[in-house]
Amino acid sequence: MRQSQAAVLERYRVLDGEFATEPYETGWATEARWFVRVLESSTPDTKLVLTTQVSPDGLHWCDAECPPQVAAGEGMVSWPVREFGQWLRIRGSVVGADQSAKVLIYLTLKS
Amino acid sequence: MGSPTTDANLAAHLRRAMLDADPALSRYNPLSRILVFDKFDTGTHGWTELIGNHDGEGNLDTVDDHMRDFRPPQLSSCTFFDVGTHGAMTGNYALKVATRPLTGHTAVAIRRLTMAKKGRVQFETYFTYKAEAASAENQAASQAGAGDWDGNIHPSEQQFGAFTVATDICDDRGERYHTVVRYQNTDLDNRFTRRWMYPVVPEPTPREHLEGKAKLGATDDFTAPNPQDWRSIGEPQSFCYNEVPTKVNWHYLRWVIDTEARKNIELQVNDRVYDMRDVPVPVYEERYDSLDNLLNFYVSARTHTGVRNFLFLDSVLVSVDW
Repeated sequence: MRQSQAAVLERYRVLDGEFATEPYETGWATEARWFVRVLESSTPDTKLVLTTQVSPDGLHWCDAECPPQVAAGEGMVSWPVREFGQWLRIRGSVVGADQSAKVLIYLTLKS
Repeated sequence: MGSPTTDANLAAHLRRAMLDADPALSRYNPLSRILVFDKFDTGTHGWTELIGNHDGEGNLDTVDDHMRDFRPPQLSSCTFFDVGTHGAMTGNYALKVATRPLTGHTAVAIRRLTMAKKGRVQFETYFTYKAEAASAENQAASQAGAGDWDGNIHPSEQQFGAFTVATDICDDRGERYHTVVRYQNTDLDNRFTRRWMYPVVPEPTPREHLEGKAKLGATDDFTAPNPQDWRSIGEPQSFCYNEVPTKVNWHYLRWVIDTEARKNIELQVNDRVYDMRDVPVPVYEERYDSLDNLLNFYVSARTHTGVRNFLFLDSVLVSVDW
């Protein structure tokens, strides 16, 4: 049977401006999928731009080959990632001064 | 063990011989029944992030501030910037408990069991601990605790705060208590203390918070928030940190408690054995429902500076004399 794991990387965290999630080790996994739930947003169309990043060492990061995702207002967005090497994180930003979004961020992994 | 002249002795010799024939088990010293044997090459084995309690609607805003961000444990290949993959003691993967780079942040992984009987319980593991290596992004080299490199002791060693192994136990009458051992590598001013410690008060619980009896901040020490409530055990103990944050040596830990007597018994860490029979076990004054025969183990890492701290477990074995 294949291994799988779901990790909650941010829990009810209120984001504004630029942010990055904590590094998460994924070297054992073949496939990953992010789920970002926006629980509350400062306006109905507050935009959250989410870029997947990869790292060989958990210290130095670059953007993965998948396009940035945009969440607008409340709801959930999800996207898959493969061939990501040892570490994954999201680098992101809440667009606009005085804008914020309260989120749950899940990373799900499968061997 | 004496000579195999009685059935009991013969059985004990046979059992040890069978353990010794298994390379994974031969480095452990289990009591008569192995309850769990967690090798992290095959998953997380029930070790999960600890979270505080929440309301009937699943609103996680009702989780206590200090119990909502204990971080998900990771299956780690112990990979570092200088050599790549280090690997675990056996196989490739260890369980990694990682803090945020935030002074006072604690990461906690928990294993949830119950007791089929009271008696001796033994927790064994091979572990190591590390502070995160420096980078331009994390600025670890200029965070509190960093000092000069003398070619032997690396500045990052003083940036590891503490790790803890503990239980959460409740008997069938609702009487609840924790047994706790903590290795404090540095004090809150990032100076080496390198000692084993225990708290003399029980951990504040979500129910106590709801009743207005306890309120902790997000980075308070949830096991026992007041530093004055901690005592040391025996003489200080140094470990083979091995000079840099990227070399991993594994250490043996064996801790015995007695759930019948509600007492600590003994802690062995590498070549040291600490008699813990006089270490008190504080009990909650109130009784708890819904926790009958609770037997949880947790491990935590706590940073005393703005640098991520990591606790790695190669494997865990919990055994009992039931």
